[in-house]
Amino acid sequence: MERSTLLASAIIVLVVIILASYTFLLNNNNTIAVKATTTTSLYATGLLDYLGEKFQEKHPGVSIQFVAVGSGEALRRAASGDACFVLVHAPSLEIQYINQGVLEYHKIFAYNYFIIVGPSNDPAGVRQAANLTDVMKRIYRAGEEGKALFISRGDNSGTNVKELQLWKMAGLDPKGKQWYIEIGQGMGETLVMASEKNAYTLSDIGTYLKFKKDGRIPNLEILYSNDTALINIYSAYLVKTCSGDEREAAKEFIDFITSDEGQMLIANYGVDKYGQPLFYPASDKLSLLESTWSELAGQG
Amino acid sequence: MEPIQNIVLRSLTISGTATLLAALWSLPLAYLLASSRRFRPLVYFFEALVGIPTVLVGLLLYLLLSRNGPLGFLELLYTPQAIIIGEALLITPLITAVSYQVMLTGLSYYRELALTLGASDRQAALLVFRETLPSLISSVVMGFSRAVGELGVALIVGGNIKGYTRTMTTSIALATAMGEYEAAVKLGLVLTAIAVGVSLVVRLVRREWASE
Repeated sequence: MERSTLLASAIIVLVVIILASYTFLLNNNNTIAVKATTTTSLYATGLLDYLGEKFQEKHPGVSIQFVAVGSGEALRRAASGDACFVLVHAPSLEIQYINQGVLEYHKIFAYNYFIIVGPSNDPAGVRQAANLTDVMKRIYRAGEEGKALFISRGDNSGTNVKELQLWKMAGLDPKGKQWYIEIGQGMGETLVMASEKNAYTLSDIGTYLKFKKDGRIPNLEILYSNDTALINIYSAYLVKTCSGDEREAAKEFIDFITSDEGQMLIANYGVDKYGQPLFYPASDKLSLLESTWSELAGQG
Repeated sequence: MEPIQNIVLRSLTISGTATLLAALWSLPLAYLLASSRRFRPLVYFFEALVGIPTVLVGLLLYLLLSRNGPLGFLELLYTPQAIIIGEALLITPLITAVSYQVMLTGLSYYRELALTLGASDRQAALLVFRETLPSLISSVVMGFSRAVGELGVALIVGGNIKGYTRTMTTSIALATAMGEYEAAVKLGLVLTAIAVGVSLVVRLVRREWASE
């Protein structure tokens, strides 16, 4: 082959490939794309993609684009105007952004529970704890004695914020301790690390059930649960800077997940696979959730 | 999960476009650097930036493209175009630094020769470019490999949006976060196969070229 032919044919092939794939790449043109920043736990369990698909069946002209980051980052990005709505679970952070005038149209749409998980031999004796404060004290004491490790998300996510509140509530400060490991990663990675290192951690029940069922965290067990103090509330908000069609579509999505149909979808999600729901619909006990939310928001 | 072929095709398009863009300005830049001593300090600058953390590039670009940022009005954040820009910037130092070395050798070897044989400056430049082309392509392919295998830029400015900005590396990260290691390894193998495939094709083209 001539050099010039070789070069020319290589360039032609490249151009054709790129043009062909561009039509494919930019196929979102004729729909309204609505951007949402969300907490990782909602996304990694697959719930959001599921709700997104159901929503799109009814609104084919809208595509909901989820950007899954921790609650702290989700709110931060929303405040920079980079999302039209947010789905988060950190009341004490949410209230700050409400006060700054970033968020509006607050709807609680789901809840589940945080749990304390750890190694089955439970060296800190969390199973015998009388209450939540006692749990934290026992882990702290065992940590100091060199018998236990605690893994912290350390990423300003909703779960991390909750965990820090628990330490504060117990009057303890584990920061900087040898046995207190901050890893700055998602819930799944944190659980896997806790399982590998026989450590304790705080998890949301949804992610725990998924990883447990998939056999990723064989060494971990639920050691403490409490359905009032460890409630985990998921809220949706519209971002004030978002306007136009995008805003309308975002509002429709929030209305959809809080509607009877959306709430049913949330209640049934994962039951066939995990034997119990990963999330509970908020409509069951909305007034209780709202008062708990206000209480948690005040604990910042 | 999205069909794997969509993700692969999207990744190739994004990183391929980024590489072509980067080559478009990196190769002339490398020639400029190689042919004039005045710009020599810039070379060290590019060489130093070859290993710049991808997450840093992603974060800086995020701050630029964010709605409240200086380039927010372009509304490029969380689009494939944003990833393309980020990856093109990311691999510019690599392609420039490597092509610079290639052209420096080419210049000292062919340019003198061409000029003594009575060629004009422009003809000499073309000759240098022609003779060093295989090595230049290699440097561009290195750039492509870094672009297609990077995670930081794609995750931060792309947002890993299903069906839109999800690339191979962001899907691997997501599958890992979801505990779906089988899917993650599968995608990882595809990514590796592509990297190996591309370098094989380039090797073949180079051999063909050299045999002429």
